[in-house]
Amino acid sequence: MQASLEQKYNLEIVRWFTIMAAIYLVVGAAVGVYIASELAWPFLNFDTPYISFGRLRPVHTNAVIFAFGGCTLMATAFYTVQRTCGVRLWSDKMARFTFWGWNAVIVLAVLTLPFGITQSKEYAELEWPIDILIAVVWLSFTINFLMTIATRKTSHIYVSNWFFLGMMVMIVYLHVVNSLAIPVGLFKSYSIFSGVQDAMIQWWWGHNAVGFYLTAGFLGIMYYFVPKQAGRPIYSYRLSVIHFWALMFGYVWLGAHHLQYTALPDWTGSLGAAVSIAMIIPSWGGAVNGMMTLSGAWDRLRTDYVLRFLIIALAFYAMSTFEGPVMALKTVNALSHYTDWTIGHVHSGALGWVAGISIGAIYHLMTRLYHTEMFSERLINFHFWTATIGTVIYIVAMWVSGIMQGLMWRAYDEYGTLAYTFVESVDAMHPYYAMRAVGGMIFLLGAVVMLFNVLMTVRKSVVSGSLDKARAVPAAA
Amino acid sequence: MNSLVEYFETDWQAMTINDWVGTILTIVIFLLMVVAYFQVFRPKNRERLEAKKHIPFDEDNE
Repeated sequence: MQASLEQKYNLEIVRWFTIMAAIYLVVGAAVGVYIASELAWPFLNFDTPYISFGRLRPVHTNAVIFAFGGCTLMATAFYTVQRTCGVRLWSDKMARFTFWGWNAVIVLAVLTLPFGITQSKEYAELEWPIDILIAVVWLSFTINFLMTIATRKTSHIYVSNWFFLGMMVMIVYLHVVNSLAIPVGLFKSYSIFSGVQDAMIQWWWGHNAVGFYLTAGFLGIMYYFVPKQAGRPIYSYRLSVIHFWALMFGYVWLGAHHLQYTALPDWTGSLGAAVSIAMIIPSWGGAVNGMMTLSGAWDRLRTDYVLRFLIIALAFYAMSTFEGPVMALKTVNALSHYTDWTIGHVHSGALGWVAGISIGAIYHLMTRLYHTEMFSERLINFHFWTATIGTVIYIVAMWVSGIMQGLMWRAYDEYGTLAYTFVESVDAMHPYYAMRAVGGMIFLLGAVVMLFNVLMTVRKSVVSGSLDKARAVPAAA
Repeated sequence: MNSLVEYFETDWQAMTINDWVGTILTIVIFLLMVVAYFQVFRPKNRERLEAKKHIPFDEDNE
């Protein structure tokens, strides 16, 4: 019966995106490890501007967020919308355009950012021609998804599709507004916003990229793949509905908490912090909803390594969505902002939550897309431990480093003079920067192992002919 | 108490169109959330909503 799925659905595009996601995780994490190493051992700059931290950092963020994260989102969204709506993708051609267009964006990012071609807007560095391409490709992704839902055979739209669609609509809006710029050449443009308005628009985009792209989209993954992998329906569908609407209405307010103690009006930051605290409720509701899906079947975690990834990701999601609102509070923000604590927080979300849920989904997809078991279960287990240990080492290093930085910068002596120079605080960071690089290397090792396992599974499928057999079975079988 | 009154004091005359749009949108969204909570947690709707959680398992048999 499973074989007929090959004829009924467009799984080819899901396979392409899935394989590319596994490749981009290695690429993005490798660049991350290199720039982390540059901070610990600056000689690695080799006095070459193209590989300096400032040039490679956006390559890393674009590779992990848009290349790895984007391909994962597109693979899972295209898969789940077909499976839960019972229909093939609305347009195969549009899906192929989305794949090639998205990959073209990634290639263009690699070709421009190391050369300093950038708008200097965080998580939106790419210059205006690439921004236009992103908008067109993302719209094609959105329209195809939306039209697939419109032609569905089921009466109800399953909640994972709500999260995916919420992400798609909001990202169109956020990306277009934040990228509004006056071009002065093919490779240079200036934002139409300036001063504090530019800062507010930037962080309205920046935090909503976290809220809608890195949270809502990956929650769409969670609401489909956790129940499927666990073999049990989601704990509470009602909670998932409240989770969705609270997230959609709440997240858009948070951006101002990135601009505490700046030229932004004080009340704006207070509002951002207040809504951030309120967001703990739906976020934890969602995390508990995912975890409680295993209620009565916790023993599955002993043997199901893929489920381990999905559940530990939810634990990191809960932790990050508590830590973030606390950091938004002005009192805590006075210590944490501009320090490595922020980097630790971001990576507990990025490595623990986003990568964890993505990796679980990729392993789940591989067996269904190639109609065979994974090449090695032991390697999945090995990957689980390297990913978890690497993430924990990374975030602990950044927590210690960040809090130490904050305390050193604000310390003063009995005469009111600063107790430490800035360079002394930089010097004190060295052991933690080395520790961060090691944590990243361990995480990267796991990503390489996953890529190997994924490629060997493809090979296994080719050798055994399982995919060819599945393709050959008539749809009516 | 006085400080709370001061904290929430608003100069209504100074409200711009943007301020009013924002205020009205905020109140409307708040009310919509109240409606959403009421509808979702109303015992009468429990069975209907919870039945949807089986959709991923209604797919073609695997």
